[in-house]
Parts: sequence; structure tokens; C-alpha cells
Amino acid sequence: MGIFPLRDRKIMSLSEAARLIHDGDIVAVGGNLSAREPIGMIRELIRQGKRNLHTVGGAHGVDIDLMCGAGVVGTVQNSFVGFEADLGLAPNFRRMAEAGTIQVRETDCIAMMVQLRASQFGVPFMPTPVVAGTQVLGLSTDFRQMTCPFSGEKVNLLPALRPNAAIIHAHKADDQGNVKLYPPYFADLLFVEASDKVIVTVEKIITRKEMKHIGSNIPYYEITGVVELPLGAHPTSCYPDYSYDRSHLSEYVRAAQSGPEAFSSQYLQKYVFGPKNHQEYLELIGGEEKRAALMSWQQDEARWRELMLRE
Amino acid sequence: MTEKITYYTIDELMAVCLARTIKDGDTVFNGVAVPLPFTAIMLARKTHAPNSVFWGGLLAGVNPEPCFLPPTSGDSVMLRDADPVLHLSQIFDLVMRGELNRVFFSGAQIDKYGNLNNTLIGSPNNIRVKLPGGAGGSHVGSFARNFTIWSVRHEARTTSKGKRIYNLVDKVDFVTSMGHRTDKGDRQELGIRGGGPDMVVTNLCVFDFDEVSKIMRLKSLHPRVTIQDVLDNTGFEPVIQEKVEESALPTEEAIRIIRELDPLETRKRGFSSEVLKRRYDL
Repeated sequence: MGIFPLRDRKIMSLSEAARLIHDGDIVAVGGNLSAREPIGMIRELIRQGKRNLHTVGGAHGVDIDLMCGAGVVGTVQNSFVGFEADLGLAPNFRRMAEAGTIQVRETDCIAMMVQLRASQFGVPFMPTPVVAGTQVLGLSTDFRQMTCPFSGEKVNLLPALRPNAAIIHAHKADDQGNVKLYPPYFADLLFVEASDKVIVTVEKIITRKEMKHIGSNIPYYEITGVVELPLGAHPTSCYPDYSYDRSHLSEYVRAAQSGPEAFSSQYLQKYVFGPKNHQEYLELIGGEEKRAALMSWQQDEARWRELMLRE
Repeated sequence: MTEKITYYTIDELMAVCLARTIKDGDTVFNGVAVPLPFTAIMLARKTHAPNSVFWGGLLAGVNPEPCFLPPTSGDSVMLRDADPVLHLSQIFDLVMRGELNRVFFSGAQIDKYGNLNNTLIGSPNNIRVKLPGGAGGSHVGSFARNFTIWSVRHEARTTSKGKRIYNLVDKVDFVTSMGHRTDKGDRQELGIRGGGPDMVVTNLCVFDFDEVSKIMRLKSLHPRVTIQDVLDNTGFEPVIQEKVEESALPTEEAIRIIRELDPLETRKRGFSSEVLKRRYDL
């Protein structure tokens, strides 16, 4: 959605890219749960003091919780926000939803996909087979029921949802803005086509020649801006490069569980506002040693298992 | 693994009961926050359901062979040996057109008709506890041919104010995923295609659903559990068959497979610690 045909303007700094997002924007955040979320970009959005953002998407975790705790979010429209059996409830999201300091628009993974699809297809709504009985529909996801004019069967209709921006972390981009995304894809390609602006942080920028050799899967004209940001998904994973940083996430959850003041001093000041730039953040979290540790999942299964248990 | 297996634990018993709800050749999906069903699905694939088609979580890998079950369901160990790897939307499309046989759902509250609450305790205007959300449950629950409900917290606890709080309740505070009947009607009246929940496996027992009333019906008790235990820990009166069986017990082979599949013991998460300590002799 939105065509950006000029190939020479794609690569930008993190702060430039974050400035493309405005207060009140509907933002589709890429990745899922503890995997390949654009946390580096999120830290920059927080530093720039964004307000009243409206997140949309499926099942997520630290990305949405961090945005809530840092006060940049006004509305959360995600199908799930939490850490599952791994680290439990999302503390900021939960606390603020209960207090009413964020609005929650209840939704569902499939409803979200269908609404984004309508935008992707250029139509104002999209049908699904009948869904009923659930209070998720109607409460904050608008829907109608219709009789199909061709077959006579009943269907549900969901309205199109068009994010102002998608923020995604991917693996490679070339200098024209073509992007290579390795699996798991989650819903990221849907976000690209359904959203107006698409901002992608990548592990590495490569030459156009190298990209032609490996083959990109997101074309340059869908991309508004690209930022080279190694370990840009940290503390979430970015396979096949690095696993998630479970000990950092545990620290995050403990800080978030301790209330807004503790979260601000123990996490936000330390990791978001403290480091002057992304390079300083990488040094703070453990530099080259940490990077090597998170990448070591590839060595053998025992090592991979050990990474899953770090407290 | 060569050591002799002399006992099993409640999670292993439940994995066996959950696995039995999968038939060979079924299409099966596990989504978000389902660590124990994950074990059950892999066990079923290794034993009686080798021809089942399984998509491993939101990563959308077809028939993965993970070397451990991860605590975060989106981890790329779920892509190991998976081929092809799809886009998540392809699985959701398949679910929408009615081709998913089996999926597993739980809830902070589960009511007598199998309605599930993963959204909030209280009411939308007065949220006492905000739960993580139902992920795909509200829609997948409408489209799937059937789903198995599972609970590792089938227990009652008493609050400081003396109130009894149940996981299995008479009526959920909020319907995230529909079971068989709500105030608005039953599945047929509402025009829902999917068959809904047909089995419920908890840490105490197994239920199915009464054909007429659509209320949970006690089918089998786990070892050392009595009917009174079930009634004491349930916030409604289930239908009780004349003949309540003992739940299917694990074999040594099944336990060995489970422990090899899940070296991180992800399947044990969510249970209360006293319940996990119990050992059942083989």
C-alpha cells in the first residue's frame, strides 16, 4: 500500500525513519510473541516521545508491553498480548488496561487478518463464514451480517483496516530498498501490502548484486524507508541469526511487574533513554559476547536448549 | 534414554488423554499459549496418528520435528525439519474453509457449555483483571470441526474475603470463544459451521458433552480422584454418567516419548506445584 518508486532515497537513519511515524498513527508492529519484533525501532519511537499510537496485529509480547509502559500507546488492538507460559502476563499492558490508561480494542488473529486483507485487496470490507456467540465481535471490532446475494448463505462482514504505518524487522535490504525476509514470516507480508508507510529495520544492508543473487521477497516500491540495525529485534529473536535473550526479557518482566516508577528507573532509563545510540545499547546489553551467545544456538542442541532456560 | 520408567506425572497423564482426541489423518493446529497440547500433538504423531497434518504454531511450518518444545511458542525450533514453511494466512484460510479437524483451547474461565474466557474478569466497562486475549480463539473456535478444551487449573481457591473462585464456572464473565450455547442461542441457531468442543481434559478428569443439554458430562476420572473431588472443584453441576470410567493411563512407551520430545519440560508449565509433585506408579 503506497508506492515509493524512487530507489535512491530508501536508506535512512533510525531517527529519520522513526520521524515518519506521527502521533495518533495506526501502527502494525511486525513479528509475533518473542520473535522478530522491531524493538530497536520501538525504543526510538519512545525516545522521540510519540503519543497515542494505536497498535494493530495478532499475538504479541514485549513490543506492545514496552510501548504501553513507555506511554506512547493510546489504543491496543492486538489479539493477544502476553508472554504465554514462558514469562506470564504482560505487566504494563495488564496494569494500564485495568486502570483505563490504555484503550483495548478486543480482536482476534483471523479478524485482524481479514480486516487487513480488505485493505490489501483495495475493498472496503471482507466477508468470513459466520462467527457468533463470541463477545469479541461487536464489542470493539465492528461487524455486520449479510445474506450473500449469489448463494443466499449468511456471512459476516468485517471493515477494512488500513494502518498508517507498518514497522518490521527483517534480515537484509539492498540500497534500493528491496528486502529479504527469512521464515517465519508471521503476518509481515500482509502488513506491508495493507499499510500506507512501511519502515523496515534490517540486520544488514547488502549490495544490489548480492540481493539479486539471493533473491528479495519484498519489492522496493512497497518500502518507505530502510535502516541498518544489527540486533534490531533484541531482546526478541531473529532466526536464523540469533535466539531471543531470555535473561533480558526476565529482567524486563520483573521491572514491569514492579510498577510504573520501578519500570521507568529499572528499565526505561537504563535501556531506552540511557544509551545515546543503538551501538551504546548493544554494548550495554553485553556487546560482542552477548551477540555470540545469542547466535550460538546453531552450535548444537544442548546449547540451544540452554538459551531457552536463561533466567 | 535407557533408564527404566517407574512412574508418570499428571502432565504426562493429561498429554495421553489429550493425544487421544486426535485421530489419525486429522489436520491439527496449535496456536498460542498451549504448551501441554503441543506435547500431546507430538505424542499423537509419534504413536497412533502418524498421518496427521500438523502446523507448528504461528510460524506455519508443515509437520515440524522440533528437538525440544519451546517455552515461547513462536521460537524457530518449531521450523526444524518443517517443509514447506507457509505464511500464517494460509493456515487461517484453511481453517476458515472448514478444513481444520482439531485444535486445543483453554481459558481463565471455562463454563458448563464449553464457552471460554481469555479476555477479562469483570465487565468491559469495569475490568477487574485484563487477561492476555484469545488470540485466534473466537474465530478458529467457530470454524474448526472440533476442539478439545484443556485445563491444568481445575481447582477452586478461596480468596481472602472468603469467596470461592473456580476455573470451571457456571457462566463466564466474557465469551471469548463460544462453546455450545450462550444467551444468544446454540451453534445451530446462530449458523456456526464448526462443531465446537467435544472433549475437556483437566488435571482431575475428562468430560465430554451431553447430547441434549450440551452441558459437560463427566466421562472419566484420573487415578486417586473421586466424583466428589470433581464436584468440590467445579462451579456447576456436570452431568454424571451412570458409569464413570478411569481415564486412559500412559504406557511406558508413551512416557518415554513425551520425555524425549520435551526435555525442557515445557508441558509442566501452568500446573500448581503440589499437583506436579505427585507420582503415579506405572
